[in-house]
Amino acid sequence: MEISLLYGRRELVPKVDIPTKLPDTVQVLPTLAVTTSVRCLRCNAMTARDDGGLPHGQYYCPQCINLGRVSTLDSFYHVPEPNQFSPPSEPLTWRGQLSPLQSRVAEEVRKAMANHQRHLLWAVTGAGKTEMMFSTIEQALKKRERVCIASPRVDVCLELFPRLQRAFQKTPIVLLHGQQEQPYRYCQLTVCTTHQLLRFYHAFDLLIVDEVDSFPYAANQQLLFATNQAKKPTGGLLLMTATPGKTLLREVRRRQLIVSYLPLRYHGHLLPEIKRIKISSKWRCRLAHGRLPLTVIHWVHRHVQTKKRFLMFVPHVADLTPVANALKKIIPQTAFATVYAADDERLTKVQKMREGQYQFLITTTILERGVTFPAIDVCVIGADDEVFSSSALVQIAGRVGRSADCPNGQVTFFIGDNTLAISSAVRQIKYLNRLGRKLQCRDV
Amino acid sequence: MSRCLICGCSISDQSTLMQLLMISPNEKEICDKCRQQFIKIGPENRCQGCGRQRGPYCDDCQQWRSLTGFLLANESLYQYNQAMKQYMHDYKFQGDYRLRRVFAEEMSSLVASRKPDLIMPIPVHERTWQTRGFNQVTGLLEVEVQTGLLVTQEVKKSAPQSSKTREQRLQTKQPFKLLQPSVVFGKRIVLVDDVYTTGRTLYHAATLCRQAGCRQVWSVTLAS
Repeated sequence: MEISLLYGRRELVPKVDIPTKLPDTVQVLPTLAVTTSVRCLRCNAMTARDDGGLPHGQYYCPQCINLGRVSTLDSFYHVPEPNQFSPPSEPLTWRGQLSPLQSRVAEEVRKAMANHQRHLLWAVTGAGKTEMMFSTIEQALKKRERVCIASPRVDVCLELFPRLQRAFQKTPIVLLHGQQEQPYRYCQLTVCTTHQLLRFYHAFDLLIVDEVDSFPYAANQQLLFATNQAKKPTGGLLLMTATPGKTLLREVRRRQLIVSYLPLRYHGHLLPEIKRIKISSKWRCRLAHGRLPLTVIHWVHRHVQTKKRFLMFVPHVADLTPVANALKKIIPQTAFATVYAADDERLTKVQKMREGQYQFLITTTILERGVTFPAIDVCVIGADDEVFSSSALVQIAGRVGRSADCPNGQVTFFIGDNTLAISSAVRQIKYLNRLGRKLQCRDV
Repeated sequence: MSRCLICGCSISDQSTLMQLLMISPNEKEICDKCRQQFIKIGPENRCQGCGRQRGPYCDDCQQWRSLTGFLLANESLYQYNQAMKQYMHDYKFQGDYRLRRVFAEEMSSLVASRKPDLIMPIPVHERTWQTRGFNQVTGLLEVEVQTGLLVTQEVKKSAPQSSKTREQRLQTKQPFKLLQPSVVFGKRIVLVDDVYTTGRTLYHAATLCRQAGCRQVWSVTLAS
């Protein structure tokens, strides 16, 4: 095996295949700690002996088996990260301009990461986070540090990779995720899903985790563990999100985590605030008879008349068809479509919405992040449903006013009752806007 | 509450009042949705040789009879469909030993229903023991089995059967040997394997048993 493939990694090897003579640099590490239960040294999961038992007193970890089975029949090969890179003198080939506010925050982050801190970048949806981390990455690359950008979502990684390639044209970058067919290479810059971090061990001097609040990363102990052991014990960790969850906010409050805010969008405008409208909490019963709440009908009529385009979110896939049927009766001439995760035509429908062929889309939480339509409004029917977490609601509200031409718009939640998630989303947006207003005043 | 071993969804305890009163644990290993993906081989129109629904004597089995002079009377529980392929991949090749529990009960009772003198699982190679750590066939059986009698004889592990074409599989040389053939003499034997594909593996093992003078030999597999 090429020895560079082991730098900062842990590769599984069957114990029978380990030769008696190994190069001095290669360490052979244990895979499992067996006590009264079995603890995996890769993903840190605890498994009962009954569940992780193999014949003849051997054990394995069923939790991270998708990455290749860890068992007492195997060992890890590991070579400590040597940072064998020869970076170009000017790695950053991006020639774009940051706004004064963006560069101020980018500078703050860069300084924090120079000292290898744990740092949170809380930037609103559509703030231009990716561009703001370029100077931080550049600084690390110049110092021959190993850098990784990880995200819980594959689509975020797939979108980040080409942008980073364009920004750092002279630096080799490797992209890793579950469906990747190209083999692993040793590169100074790595883009990967957070699951792939489990394969690394004390590798990165700078680890950036994007969208920390999104599924499945938030509240997943295995992935949090992976993050901490993929970076060097001395390495810096930069967390980025538009919607920090409870745990992160608590850490910020206790000053265990330093935070940089970017409460304004790249075009310098505030976030649209959420308007709540009460509907009957039994709206589904009415819907079963093909009728929508009156307030919703008024709202839709108003938008159709003014030709304002919008996204309508519903809690479940099963709600899509009844809502669509009810609307067809009210506004038969208007073109619209429904979109959900397993929809075969999902991409074409989104494309048609972009091109303006549809007046609106009815959708579930799948369009909550990553999509941008210019000049739209958003409404959520039944925002009090438990599928909507506060971060999902903030993300949904963040679909509005993303373009510089049309930075304002309406966000309307039709709710039967207030929930904690809704109040916390409303509060979060108000809080960011308060910070944003201060900045706006300062700049003027 | 437990979790489905295949899809990971939580299995809700929908015990009936009767079950609660009798305090019989309602332990399901997989959810109903996953269970439905596995399709049983029906009793009608089965081949006397391989047990598949191909008419009384399918072409393959007629060839086996002219080649070896006997038929195995194989019985398989499930069709080897996409879900079963995925199961075999996760259980055998990925090595998730917990998955044995999904079919262990059914397999054990099927084997026991033949009332054999000896139950012989098809053995795995020494190298497989050192890397996989278990014999996938023995794992499926909760009953007393005869191991160590039928063993693999090659020193080096050849390519796995599942990676070969039908022709290549049929040309496979005898991979087993029988230690202490006298134990087998006059016994009624059930051979157990995971998948019946061409029958080559099971016919090799059965031939050894017949040469050692067993009274009768059948086979049981999980899928075919």
